[in-house]
Amino acid sequence: MVIVDRDPNAFSRASTRGVLTREFKGDQVVGNGTDVDVLRRAGIERADGFVAVTEGDNRNIMASQIAKDVYKVPHVVARIYDPERADAYEKLGLHTICPTIDGARHIEKVLLERESR
Amino acid sequence: MYVIVVGGGTVGYYLSRDLVERGHEVTLIEKDARRADWLETQLGSIVMRGDGCEVRFLAQTGIERADAIIAVTADDEDNLIALQMAKRHFRVKKTIARVNNPTNVEIFKTLGVDEAVSATDVLLAALEPPLAT
Repeated sequence: MVIVDRDPNAFSRASTRGVLTREFKGDQVVGNGTDVDVLRRAGIERADGFVAVTEGDNRNIMASQIAKDVYKVPHVVARIYDPERADAYEKLGLHTICPTIDGARHIEKVLLERESR
Repeated sequence: MYVIVVGGGTVGYYLSRDLVERGHEVTLIEKDARRADWLETQLGSIVMRGDGCEVRFLAQTGIERADAIIAVTADDEDNLIALQMAKRHFRVKKTIARVNNPTNVEIFKTLGVDEAVSATDVLLAALEPPLAT
């Protein structure tokens, strides 16, 4: 398990909040996740899975495609907030998660459950 | 030729201006409203404000009849997504990217971009004779 983040402070913030505890056995790599050199440093050539969950849709799409199409990582997931973009790339064969649509569906479900009571 | 330029920074501005001077039809796409306003004072109505990565916006630019699309923003990921949408959604024949990170030249070609131009590579090639390593 390797986490890549371009902000070195992100790692210390995560440990302060108790998210990254001492039990976390993985490695941390500082750098841009769309940069092939950074991904290689993170060991992408021997990765079985790759998840792109930065705040930028386009960055996630690009990083995921590098993982999937250039390094042939078997399991790749990209988070894409923009529903249209998520749909477009899902159709192009990228496994995408769209929190916007998932969130809306969940809210709708909770709302309707309450109503039917 | 009808050419769409994505990104109205320095490169996009001069590129669009030259293309117009050479008699081509051009649409210049710029995301930032203030920058788009300024570009319009210089280049007139060829400027459209919007996100060149959005299919719905691209559909308003007459992209189906574009001969080429050139993405020249400062963000490689934005250039890649705009060109992939143009190629796969609208079947634009020629897609050309400016890449800011030279290692992306090969990556872009693998991911379906026709031409990827790196300023770093151009500058290195200008060092003649090549520096001995």
